[in-house]
Amino acid sequence: MSKGQRTKDKGQTDFFELTADTIDVGEVARRIVSAKCGATVTLDGYVRQFTKGRETLYLVYEAYEPMALSELEKLIEKAHEQFEIAHVGIVHRLGKLEIGETSVVISVGAPHRQAAFAACEWLIKELKRTVPIWKKEVYRGGEIWIEGKK
Amino acid sequence: MKVQVLFFGATAEIVGKREIEISFDKEPIANEAFDKVLNEFPQMRQHSLLFAVNQAYSNGDEIIQNNDELAIFTAVSGG
Repeated sequence: MSKGQRTKDKGQTDFFELTADTIDVGEVARRIVSAKCGATVTLDGYVRQFTKGRETLYLVYEAYEPMALSELEKLIEKAHEQFEIAHVGIVHRLGKLEIGETSVVISVGAPHRQAAFAACEWLIKELKRTVPIWKKEVYRGGEIWIEGKK
Repeated sequence: MKVQVLFFGATAEIVGKREIEISFDKEPIANEAFDKVLNEFPQMRQHSLLFAVNQAYSNGDEIIQNNDELAIFTAVSGG
């Protein structure tokens, strides 16, 4: 599917991808390790079985791919402005996902862990608000496109 | 002039298509263009919607040009 990469003068190499394949969380985390960092914080977001008592059977994700990549790039750029971090890698899965499968991985590498934790939390919050990706929840007895909060 | 309008998820289901083409006599303001589509598919108004012009969020006042790519979709739910 679609991939993006940005390299900046300070030597950061960030990546952001949309994929139909299963995501290897460790591989994403390892890709951003560098000599100037001391910690990587990785979020592994995966499909939950029960939400407010309703049983999910599976999820289907879709994206407005070119815009999703450009919004991811903007987020990474803003994260660099706000936090003392070195590298960011974000991979989001699309298509049908079973319970327990990873839907999104965000890895942030930094010289010190505090900035990596803060940036990772900020990135997932903003991703859920701004990146044009949607999930359809298929549950026992029906299905619904989940609408986020604006 | 004509523009493409893309739909995703819930809005694609309402329209029954992922893409339509609409025509204008002269370059519309973004909000006018989006209203024209919403008037055709009023069911969309029941949702919390976001609007994009050429793959960036619209503030509603861009001048739409021939062959621009518009998109209407519900508040996003990735992650």
